[in-house]
Amino acid sequence: MKRLFLVALFAIITMSAFAQAKKPTIMVVPSDAWCKSKGYVTEVDNMGTTVYTPDYVAALQNDFDLLNVISKLNDLMNDRGFPLQNLESVIRDITTTSAELSLVEGKSGGSVAESMYDQVRNRARADIIMQVTWDVVTVGPKKSVRYTLQGLDSYTNKQIAGANGTGEPSHQVDIAVMLQEAVMANMDSFVGRLQEHFDDMFANGREVSYLIRVSDIWGEDLESDFDGYALSEIIDDWFYDNTEGHRYSVADQSETQMTLNQVRIPIYDERGRANDANRFIRNFVRYLRAEPYLIDNIKVLNQGLGRCVLILGEK
Amino acid sequence: MKKIALILSMIMLVCGSAYADKKKKLNEDTDMFRYDIEYCKTASDGMVMVKVWSYSKRSDLAMAQSRKNAVHGVIFRGYTGTTAASSQRALVSDPTIESVKADFFTAFFGEDGPYMRYVSTIMDGSAEVRKVGKEYKVGVVVTVNKDMLRKHLEEAGIVRGLGSGF
Repeated sequence: MKRLFLVALFAIITMSAFAQAKKPTIMVVPSDAWCKSKGYVTEVDNMGTTVYTPDYVAALQNDFDLLNVISKLNDLMNDRGFPLQNLESVIRDITTTSAELSLVEGKSGGSVAESMYDQVRNRARADIIMQVTWDVVTVGPKKSVRYTLQGLDSYTNKQIAGANGTGEPSHQVDIAVMLQEAVMANMDSFVGRLQEHFDDMFANGREVSYLIRVSDIWGEDLESDFDGYALSEIIDDWFYDNTEGHRYSVADQSETQMTLNQVRIPIYDERGRANDANRFIRNFVRYLRAEPYLIDNIKVLNQGLGRCVLILGEK
Repeated sequence: MKKIALILSMIMLVCGSAYADKKKKLNEDTDMFRYDIEYCKTASDGMVMVKVWSYSKRSDLAMAQSRKNAVHGVIFRGYTGTTAASSQRALVSDPTIESVKADFFTAFFGEDGPYMRYVSTIMDGSAEVRKVGKEYKVGVVVTVNKDMLRKHLEEAGIVRGLGSGF
């Protein structure tokens, strides 16, 4: 009995020591508006409409102010115990990996297959984007820096933190110094709001989203009956039973597609492991594969900590 | 000889009593934490300059309280920003923490308590003294080492760090 108690106690201590929520990755990027105003964009003609895509590589190679701002924000977040992903390093890593993969040839002479999906995933992305914008306002001989910092959740597209301000007009000609002052003056407020977002996450669960789609070769759809219920209703019920505080919303539903937003999942799974959108949905996949539904072919595309796409009828 | 000793001890007693009275008065005013706080500028990494308006019937007491009030304001009140900087929220998000952790804060804000480590010297010549009714309102610019103060509170378990829980 004593031994059993000790074993149980050890298990509880071990679980609590190692159960830590997955740390979201954060990266600083210049805003699209800033890239456009500075000319760091590539133009794409999309059926007669010009679309501008930010060219981060050109921006990082040519703009020292941008490097200073990213470096300062990295330093400040590091001081808070939250090191950031560095945009320049991430882009360099992606470029190197792509170059290496293009040189790899298999024994049969075939190259490494990279699907369209892999290429899309290889864009520089993080769970939270710190989007920074600034411009210099000139009034007579004086200049000031107008600065905006936004924290955007990559998966819910929500702004979770923000700070902005216009510095005092000054005869100072060094924009780098004015920018640094702007970054420091607005950082505490930004971090405070980010902290509130994390506090909310720990209190109410991590917010994720799912897109459920149906393969066109499956022969069934979300309105098909399984055990007397429409598949969409079965999905709805499962999410009601398994989400934190039954919090989720069906944003969009048709016979071929269902979007579930603001899905609050527990921070830890039933074994005490850190949870994310992919881990949480595994039980749902098992549920559909089991009796009485027996939907074997379910493809899960993981799009980071907070978003998954499920394709029913596809393997 | 006896008379001299008696006079000396009387003087010491009076001085000691006056000093104790001043301390008591200072503590009474400080315990009430009557002040206004406004943002001036972010001085350098982690340092913030705030202007604190303290109230007391004696201007020297109000000035002496400014350091303590500045730290208290940064921890519990926050302050509105300017066009240059966003408003700064209080370091603690739970308003009841001051009473819940009363032991900690009594020691922290005690006479020459740990709070003194996070306030730098008051800028000379910046003090503004105004008479409001029967008391004085004294405004002083104080520099608070907000980063170090937050780290101290994190280590004491008063506030959560940004990376804690992950």
